[in-house]
Amino acid sequence: MAQRSSQVIGYLALISLLLITTWAFYGLSRVGEDGLSVAVFTDPYIHSLLLFSLKQAALSATGAVVLALPVARALYYLPKLVGKQLFLAFCLLCFVLPTLILITGLVALLGQAGWLTPYLGESWNLYGLQGILLAHLFLNMPFAIRAFYLQLQSIPASSWQLARQLKLKTWQHWALLEWPQLRGRLLTVWAFVFVLCFNSFAVVLSLGGGPQATTLEVAIYQALKYDFNIPEALSLAWLQLLITGSLFLLMTRFSASAWLSADTARTQFLPRLTAYSRLIHQWIYGLAWLVLLAPLLALLPNLWQIQVERLAELAILKPVLTSLTLGVVAAGLAVLLALMILTPIRLARLAGQDKQQWLLETLANHSLILPAMVVSVGLYVWLLTQGRLERWGWFFIVLINTLILVPFALQQLKPRLFQFDDQYQRLTQQLKLNSCTYWQVLLPWLKRDLQAALVLTLLLAMGDVAIFSIFAKDEWSSLPWLIYTYASSYRIPEASVLSLLFLLICGGLVVWLERIKNH
Amino acid sequence: MKLSLFLSLSVFLAVNPVHAADKPVLTVYTYDSFVAEWGSGPKLEAAFEKNCHCDLKFVAVEDGVSILNRLKIEADKTKADLILGIDDGLMEEARATQLIAEHGQAVDKLSSHLQWEDKSFLPYDYGYFAFIYDRNKLAKPASSLKELVESDAKIIYQDPRTSTPGQGLMLWVKSVYGDQAAEAWQQLAKHTVTVTKGWWEAYSMFLEGGADYVLSYNTSPAYHVISDKKDQYQAAAFSEGHVAQIELAALLKTSTQPELGKQFLSFLITPEAQALIPVTNWMLPVIEGVELPPIFSQLIQPQRIGFAPNEIAEKRADWIKEWRSAAAK
Amino acid sequence: MLVIQNLVLRRGSWQRRYDLQAESAAIMTIQGRSGAGKSALLAAIAGFEPVAAGDIQWQGQSLLSLPIEQRPVSMLFQEHNLFEHLSVAQNLKLGLKFASEATQQTALQQAAEALEITAYLRKMPQELSGGQRQRVALLRTILRPEPIILLDEPFAELDAYTREIAAQWVRATAKAAHKTVLLVTHQNEDVERLADHNVIFE
Repeated sequence: MAQRSSQVIGYLALISLLLITTWAFYGLSRVGEDGLSVAVFTDPYIHSLLLFSLKQAALSATGAVVLALPVARALYYLPKLVGKQLFLAFCLLCFVLPTLILITGLVALLGQAGWLTPYLGESWNLYGLQGILLAHLFLNMPFAIRAFYLQLQSIPASSWQLARQLKLKTWQHWALLEWPQLRGRLLTVWAFVFVLCFNSFAVVLSLGGGPQATTLEVAIYQALKYDFNIPEALSLAWLQLLITGSLFLLMTRFSASAWLSADTARTQFLPRLTAYSRLIHQWIYGLAWLVLLAPLLALLPNLWQIQVERLAELAILKPVLTSLTLGVVAAGLAVLLALMILTPIRLARLAGQDKQQWLLETLANHSLILPAMVVSVGLYVWLLTQGRLERWGWFFIVLINTLILVPFALQQLKPRLFQFDDQYQRLTQQLKLNSCTYWQVLLPWLKRDLQAALVLTLLLAMGDVAIFSIFAKDEWSSLPWLIYTYASSYRIPEASVLSLLFLLICGGLVVWLERIKNH
Repeated sequence: MKLSLFLSLSVFLAVNPVHAADKPVLTVYTYDSFVAEWGSGPKLEAAFEKNCHCDLKFVAVEDGVSILNRLKIEADKTKADLILGIDDGLMEEARATQLIAEHGQAVDKLSSHLQWEDKSFLPYDYGYFAFIYDRNKLAKPASSLKELVESDAKIIYQDPRTSTPGQGLMLWVKSVYGDQAAEAWQQLAKHTVTVTKGWWEAYSMFLEGGADYVLSYNTSPAYHVISDKKDQYQAAAFSEGHVAQIELAALLKTSTQPELGKQFLSFLITPEAQALIPVTNWMLPVIEGVELPPIFSQLIQPQRIGFAPNEIAEKRADWIKEWRSAAAK
Repeated sequence: MLVIQNLVLRRGSWQRRYDLQAESAAIMTIQGRSGAGKSALLAAIAGFEPVAAGDIQWQGQSLLSLPIEQRPVSMLFQEHNLFEHLSVAQNLKLGLKFASEATQQTALQQAAEALEITAYLRKMPQELSGGQRQRVALLRTILRPEPIILLDEPFAELDAYTREIAAQWVRATAKAAHKTVLLVTHQNEDVERLADHNVIFE
């Protein structure tokens, strides 16, 4: 482990990540003549959009948590539910689902000409707060379900045996066993979903429907791309950085979310349920399936609307290959960088240098709170001033995706590497393994986690629209971008077909991920 | 203007022409629907290249505002020889970049009612902003902007920051309401379905049945009659008058081949090009005596209102702030 | 000769002083109650335990300035001696330095036969019992090229019979290779079978 060279490489990797960010801000600052604009902080429009950002994030997070609880409990209390493993995999899929698939589905279901719209009354309008909330709930509730379910599973069997001995009532089960178990996780999940929704971009841009439903992230994009107001964009970026940064710091005080950890399928001792509450749980479970599937099922009828000859015209192969190549390269790079950066972090941890470890981890994770939009536009502006956009666009799409994905790869690899250090650090030092042998021992240990990290980052990279939208040229197209162009021109059949194809690819990857995780 | 794009998404499937090495390349920044397979771009390109012994290359960005933004960023490093697709509302801001050269064309060729005298920017088509409705669904359309604002009809319009029709509506509301514009925006927001980024999203949503009115051009019905054989889509004529959009092309000072650039500008206002543009870009010609399909004579001929370009340039930022604050409530 | 001179180890309020010497190629057993600082001493020699004062010398040179990787020490821990994700055979080959692949193979084969673990070589560690794992780890620790061998309760999980053959093998192999062995144990029979010297920590 103590190989100097891998420590140096780790630092170099971290520095190059930070350089990308610095580079982006340099790009922005060069165009803005007078830096930050103070006027932003007194503009009533900015106040109202800040308020809206916070409001929709709070509502989304609260909704996701509140609705997830009964479903998680149903999953927990009924271990033999039909299709439960599939449901858990589906929850994961929903969370990593490229947002455009969902947006297309929601429009097909609830949009102006949606399947359900005739039953919703005259005043129904998908665009605005309601649309944003629906999309956010769909994307984040499954994540909360998974997190709560895993948390409930760690109630020890002995507690339930004791509870039955003491003949506790159902409400006491909740108050004495479930609630204490869930309380910490509830807040973490809420905060996590809050941050995700606060930074939400594609959903708000597509379903916001105007200035009354704009978030800070979208406003940054608008300031840059619409008004070309760099000082305003910079000020808003700092504001966003400040808010998400402090939320992030608050969050890291709680434990990391274990939502992706393997589903420990041990036999449990559970309280006996009455037939009535069994029925309620089953009903909730069925309803969850139905609601979560609805926007995706709404894509299906469009398959029959499209003629076969149109399918050939869609020219699907190229965007699919583009998305896959882009995703694989960015994901591979992100995982590699994360692995390198973890070396100095692990060394600091082993040496008991808590502050250094914290600093390194925070720096490595900095892109979590960084608006992807700001980085993209910063580099875009720099490229334009250099007149190199034509040739280097691809490079920067990959580069920024990598930067954004590193924290996710880091999160996947870190626990397992720390475990390795705890168990084997002394042994590897004792055995005096050279670098080569060291990696030969470590890589098989990490194999599954490397795979999982790759698949997860690949899923996230393939879903990217924001970065692509900044750098894309006309003749380029990725799968989500093509969906976006069809969906935004209301060509729902075409968008649906492409979304279903994309869904199939993502679904395959998620099933693979679940198999890796549960093995 | 952008109706042509609706016919095909060919923008994304189009293949860039291979440049022959020995020919000079003339680079034109324009907006995306102009170069779509069914847009004016490919046809103008074919016609112009027949005689110029050059390679005309369109570089497309999202819309007129983006052309200007890109120009500001690239400044004197830009690879463009010409820009095509900003309008009179953005003209003064474009002039302020000091990148615009004189067009060198005789403006007396242009229709006299345009009263065009500018030496830098050359009009190639124009139209009036108008709200489009479906005659089969709406028997009695609003007859004035005030009537529309005060009604509860569902409308879709475009963001004034990104889209030239959106900016047109902003000017329209400002010239009809003056100091009361903020109240009008708030009233409008109550029955607005959505504010889209571009013309294309808005119009598509309208055709899907998403609203009673959509903001577009007085020329839009011509597209439906000619390409779609449908005549139920009509432009509502408003008694206060309509704001016009004059689309402009200009030569850049940084161009390495100004003569070729001027040749293209003069081609733009030839009867040949002027007959092509109305049935591909769905706007009106800027010279007299162009023979057009009969539907063009049935379009509404509104009275023109609005502001002078220098006043727009001066107040645009404040008006946008007024709009976004009022519409956000 | 391994010399431990005025060595002080400290963990919070716990503190312990050591003074002892082991001749080269001698086997020394260490006994004492739990918490007497036996394991801490082995860890200090191997470099895992910070030294508060004093010195540890091998053949006249201090070990304290050397990083763990450069100390002439092969140590058997109480647990985590095997990588769980590598097979027994893969685990055994780590840290060995023989003149050739063939001699290494022969040495491993002979040792495995002596310790009666040939049947487990292709298995994964988690398929083995505690005693089997302990013998695998012991085998590797002794065969490594280092002159000093530190064994922390190496026979704890062995039954009476395997305990005896393991002890015989350790003594024979260590003596043949001139190893200096420090062995922590609770059992008097280990002392009788193996030790040239015995030290009892209070």
